[in-house]
Amino acid sequence: MSALVLLSVLGVVLLYLGLFNGRGILAPVGILGLVAAFILFAGDWHLESPLFGGLVIFDTYARSFSLVMIVVTVLLFLFGMDYYAKVRENVAEHYALMVFSLVGGVLICSFTNLVVLFLGIEILSIPLYILAGGKRDSFRSGEAAFKYFLQGAFASGFLLMGLALIYGATASFDLPAIAAWSAVATNGGNMLFLLGLFLTLAGLAFKVAAVPFHFWSPDVYEGAPTLITAFMSTVVKTAAFAAFYRFIANIQLPGAVENMLVVMTLFTLFLGNIVALRQTQFKRLMAYSSIAHTGFLLLAFLGTDQRTPDVLFYYLGTYALATVGLFVVLSLAKRAALGDENIRIFRGLFRNDPWIAIAAMLMLLSLAGIPLTAGFVAKYRVFVLGIGNGFLWTTLFAVVMALVGIYYYILVIREAFTPKDQESKELVVAPINWLVISLCGAGVVALGVWPALLRL
Amino acid sequence: MIAALLLLIPFISALALVVLRPAQARPIALVSTLASLAVVVFAWISYAGGMVLHYDLDWMNAWGLRFVVGYDGVGLLMLILTAVVFPFIIGAGYGQQHDRPAIFNALLLFTQTFLFGVFLAQNALLFYIFYELTLIPVFFLLLYWGGENRRNITVRFFIYTLLGGLSLLFGLVYLLIQSGGNGDFTALHSLNVPGGTQVWLFWILFLAFAIKLPIFPFHSWQPETYYMAPLQGTMVLGAVMLKMGLYGVYKIVFPIVPLGVEHWQSTVILLALIGAVYAGIIAFRQSDLKRLVAFSSLSHVGVLCAGLFAWNTYGISGSLYQAFAHAILVVGMLYLVGAMHERLGSTDMNAMGGLKGAMPRLAALFLLVLVNAVALPLTQSFVGEWLMFAGLWQVDGWLTLLAVSTIVLGAIYMLYAYQRVMLGPDRANQQLADATTRDHLYLVPLIAVTLILGVHPGPILELVDAPVLQLLSSLSVN
Repeated sequence: MSALVLLSVLGVVLLYLGLFNGRGILAPVGILGLVAAFILFAGDWHLESPLFGGLVIFDTYARSFSLVMIVVTVLLFLFGMDYYAKVRENVAEHYALMVFSLVGGVLICSFTNLVVLFLGIEILSIPLYILAGGKRDSFRSGEAAFKYFLQGAFASGFLLMGLALIYGATASFDLPAIAAWSAVATNGGNMLFLLGLFLTLAGLAFKVAAVPFHFWSPDVYEGAPTLITAFMSTVVKTAAFAAFYRFIANIQLPGAVENMLVVMTLFTLFLGNIVALRQTQFKRLMAYSSIAHTGFLLLAFLGTDQRTPDVLFYYLGTYALATVGLFVVLSLAKRAALGDENIRIFRGLFRNDPWIAIAAMLMLLSLAGIPLTAGFVAKYRVFVLGIGNGFLWTTLFAVVMALVGIYYYILVIREAFTPKDQESKELVVAPINWLVISLCGAGVVALGVWPALLRL
Repeated sequence: MIAALLLLIPFISALALVVLRPAQARPIALVSTLASLAVVVFAWISYAGGMVLHYDLDWMNAWGLRFVVGYDGVGLLMLILTAVVFPFIIGAGYGQQHDRPAIFNALLLFTQTFLFGVFLAQNALLFYIFYELTLIPVFFLLLYWGGENRRNITVRFFIYTLLGGLSLLFGLVYLLIQSGGNGDFTALHSLNVPGGTQVWLFWILFLAFAIKLPIFPFHSWQPETYYMAPLQGTMVLGAVMLKMGLYGVYKIVFPIVPLGVEHWQSTVILLALIGAVYAGIIAFRQSDLKRLVAFSSLSHVGVLCAGLFAWNTYGISGSLYQAFAHAILVVGMLYLVGAMHERLGSTDMNAMGGLKGAMPRLAALFLLVLVNAVALPLTQSFVGEWLMFAGLWQVDGWLTLLAVSTIVLGAIYMLYAYQRVMLGPDRANQQLADATTRDHLYLVPLIAVTLILGVHPGPILELVDAPVLQLLSSLSVN
């Protein structure tokens, strides 16, 4: 409770700092607040505490995901110190909105009542609609915000309708009550419930960008400011997946819904990986790679057993780590290339700054799932879950798609290790960015070698 | 202790090279590989048969990954092979100009570390991890120091090999589920996979090694990659990395899916031999010395694979023995390619001819390396080839005939190459240096190894015999 309140207050404090010209201390204050929230969360580890009359429970699952989101936000704030250094206006709002969005993320990790799920998703999303349009003089950014808002509103409508139908069938918003109701065999074929589940899952699938609810993600990723893109593909994705799993883990899913999940997994894996092959803009590539990773995570949903939350947690945490680092590298390269986002801008990175190139390579290898990086362990566990729970062919398909995935990551690595053809501006790495990139690069290897470091 | 030293010596030297970037990187790397060699020799001397386990540590126990390292006779042979070949690979760098020599040699040492890991691993997933890791340093060796068109060829090589790797991973995960989450080889070997499953699982597992070797029709990445790679990179690929394929078949495919092997045995042998003949014919038509070596290697590997799949003591022992011979041969041949390139600035045989007049000593060394390639009696290759043919004979006479024909082809293209390079009218018309002390220091030990092991193959065959017999007898019990 205290952590949740602290985070909300932190957002307001940041807004006030912006009013009173405290630009210089925005990020430090934000980081301080986040660290405090981290300590509060970590403080009562393993204590299950129902809040708000049982609407929210901070169990180990909720706490762990909250902690990861906070850590990633800290990394992003560190990145923000350099990223916003030259921006004059509305910096405080950016920080504050990210913190508000984080509050929503924390809520949807810990809900036990579907109303909180809806509220949390709205609290998570509404700041994002604004943040996506963060570059106010950029047409692309405005387009991204508008697209995200329209489609997001639509998805919220689906979600709300679905929740209402579930309520109609089960007469409760409480997850345990719904779980108990769905466990009764005769209720499996209830049409109202089925429809409700479909619509709810569609709403959640929109948030995790699963096919066919993925259309927003490439445009929004590309248009939004890089820092916000990084925020969306890490913190928001983690929160959405945590909520998704929390929802379906408790409910006895009818066969039709399971089939829908299988189909969604297959299509997400296919589309994400195949379309990513043709991308030359790095942000779009990351958007499709994000969709592809959604596919792998959905595979972990299919084979649900007691190990699934652990696998999700590890996967999302390590994915976030690699993604944040890569977006920092992107923003540096983009600055040196005067705003270009083609993957060619990474050319000559190794000559320019070997350590940054090696760190970027490690992160890309992690996303690709090459051994000794965290991404390998994550994918490996997903495959074990998939085969172990009887989804042999789906897993085989995922393995093939993992190979496709390796191809487009390797192309980026290849650029980084190819000498530049024409002279362009030197890449300048601020110490703070160097720190973030190094942390992420070393992190994916450390977590790959000692996977036990990151577990529920 | 031995396992730890083997993994740490090259790894720490490589890290030191990356971090410190000394100007004289090559001597440091050379000393490191010689130290590894010393450790391996010690392991060989103290080896008393059976399986030697060094470490057994938890890693991700619940997920079947444990750090179990050790070796049996075959593993030790592979370790010896790696340790013997690597000083030569590093040594081949003398006389070559490299951008960033520290990183280059560090990558070679990283490769050596991971190769040791592959041959030491006694847990299937640990094996897989090292198996994939060997690709990473090689990828950068090719990408940064490769020749023409390296960007595309490197990526194709990488993806092609990973296709096999991921297929292997899928198969291993499947087996892991069957064994209840225990990924140790001992556990996997005692699995009794149903016959019907083995038939398809065979290809899932074998694909990785078929690509790595490579055998026909999975070979299309090989010639271009060998040709484009920097000389030492080709040496790593041809001398050691492809042996991972043989070792993998021996360690994973044979014991786990024996019924699958039985089912596909003749298919694989036929494919391998078709590839061998086909590559031999193409090798004959090559005018570039390095391409010739690439295709001759492809041809030899086909025979190696066929011998292995003969699946009896002669075939398997012969194939593993020949793997050693082939490694020595590839390094020697490629060194000669490098020596020619150093003197003439190209490896095109059309520009050569009559060089024997200018460099009689080098011509003699060339010929001595060559006799191993054509498997003349008293050379190491003769022993290996002979054993493999004996093994194949027990399977099918006609297949043996096909296999023997590759030897004839080999003799033709190798001697024809010698003729084009060394004999005939002098086309280069240049003052060319004869073999230097360095060339002698390099080639004479290689030739010596070839001849000694050709006359006295006992020590190596002893290593291999016991584990192979054990493997075959355990299969016949099942």
